[in-house]
Amino acid sequence: MNTEPAGLSKYTVSFGVALALASVVNGLLVIAKEKSPAVQAAMQKLTGSHWVTHVVIVLAVFALFGWLFARANGGQGIKMTANHLIRAIVAGVAAGGLIIV
Amino acid sequence: MNELILMAHVLSGVACVVTTVWVFVDVLNASPSNQARIRRMSCAVAVFMWLAFVIAGYWYVFDYPADKAVILKGPWPFAHRFFMETKEHLVILLLLLTTFLPIAATNNLAANKDARRVVLWVAGLIILLGLTAEGDGGIIAMGVKVGLLAR
Repeated sequence: MNTEPAGLSKYTVSFGVALALASVVNGLLVIAKEKSPAVQAAMQKLTGSHWVTHVVIVLAVFALFGWLFARANGGQGIKMTANHLIRAIVAGVAAGGLIIV
Repeated sequence: MNELILMAHVLSGVACVVTTVWVFVDVLNASPSNQARIRRMSCAVAVFMWLAFVIAGYWYVFDYPADKAVILKGPWPFAHRFFMETKEHLVILLLLLTTFLPIAATNNLAANKDARRVVLWVAGLIILLGLTAEGDGGIIAMGVKVGLLAR
């Protein structure tokens, strides 16, 4: 008999999905900076370095959405199977990575 | 001083990758006896990566512009145009993954196969991206070297 517990903690799912989202945002920011000098200049102005601003935005997306997803469903967090979470993380990181390259 | 900063960055990056390999192997053999160690080592992965990232960020913002000028005037301009441009954004993905690893490791890995699979995939991505970042760094350093030799 299989006695292994199923499911993942709410923070694993929430921050896993936030990780996938932040990875894509990371790639989209690269495109935005390359296509629009105005965006790059604005990001440069915010912290003195467009790269530092870029990092702050991506980390903020990760932290904010991880926290928000954990509060969903009346505080139980969003629900997802391990397979779906792994696919979301791999797809998010792959998409973010491919956009950068 | 610049050389020390760079070596500290490389050392922290290598420590991050090696520690992640440790976590990967430990999770393959997860049991109640090694669960606490997996969690400690997962935290170490995040600490090493944040160290590598903060050191590199300082160097990139304040010291790299001089190296960038050398690379762009040298025979390997692609060391900046492709490899540094890629690395400076790829390491953000690495920072996210390494920050997530200790969160995923809080699950009961000894008893939960799903949680083990998530940690293994995340650790695998960290190893892959970490080695890519190390390779990128080597090419960037070589870009500076051949740029200086060509003067």
